[in-house]
Amino acid sequence: AARGLPASVEAGVKDNITYYPTQADTKKDDKVWYVIDAEGQTLGRLATLAAAFIRGKHLPWYSGSMDMGGFVVVVNAEKVQVTGKKAEQKTYFRHTTGRPGNYHVETFKSLQQRLPERIVEKAVWGMIPKGKLGRRQIHNLKVYKGAEHPHAAQQPVDITHLVDKKWSACDLSEVLQANGLPA
Amino acid sequence: GTARAAGMVLKGARLAGLAKGFRGRAKNCLRIARLRVEKALQYQYRDRRARKRDFRSLWVQRINAGSRAHGVKYSQLMAGLREDNVQLNRKILSDLAANEPGSFGALVHRVKAMRGL
Repeated sequence: AARGLPASVEAGVKDNITYYPTQADTKKDDKVWYVIDAEGQTLGRLATLAAAFIRGKHLPWYSGSMDMGGFVVVVNAEKVQVTGKKAEQKTYFRHTTGRPGNYHVETFKSLQQRLPERIVEKAVWGMIPKGKLGRRQIHNLKVYKGAEHPHAAQQPVDITHLVDKKWSACDLSEVLQANGLPA
Repeated sequence: GTARAAGMVLKGARLAGLAKGFRGRAKNCLRIARLRVEKALQYQYRDRRARKRDFRSLWVQRINAGSRAHGVKYSQLMAGLREDNVQLNRKILSDLAANEPGSFGALVHRVKAMRGL
């Protein structure tokens, strides 16, 4: 398939039947990669964009039952921000022993120093629908500390400028081109 | 025993045929299959009606995606098409958005120009 365009869409139009993706249309090798620079971005607003692109909500062949989205790489995860007093007040909860009692609560600031990737992963996970497909799609999010990522070969499209913006006010031509749609 | 579906005899080969692909004993043991088949038939009845709603919802999501790619929201697009007396239904619009993006883009730009977006 041309980069991004689902194989069965390129193969030809089926008359008068709603497009439904085949397994071949969800192949990892054909997925488009996107990159978001988290530096200075608000956590939730960045996560919304990442979740939408992972699910494929930006594409006209979106399907809720098949993985039609792309891969999203987030860099500079340790520089993501939260507004207000959340840096000291937002808490992350986890159970530690697997038995009742004894849980561990940690602030945003502390977790950002310890494992900044987890903050972005948790935020995006909360925005992905839970289920078999959601559990598979969350693996399409790749979060990195620092500005480098190992996915240069996939030529990820930069979508940082779309964070917290109305898409009508943005330049989407790169995204469209990568997905085989006319810009 | 269970309530028998009015008018349908769920027995024998017919029952076994309807239970193909079911999980566990429901596909092989007729007493268990009967319960699952009755439920399956009820779901089919309900979902024939739900299918119409589900597809329309899917078409709307796809039109929204296609139209936002051109900078117009679904609500604005549909309002504009109605004003322009374009009577294409959501099924066709979503089909255009996926299979004929050029034509779909032309419709979106028409709405954009008309509404000054």
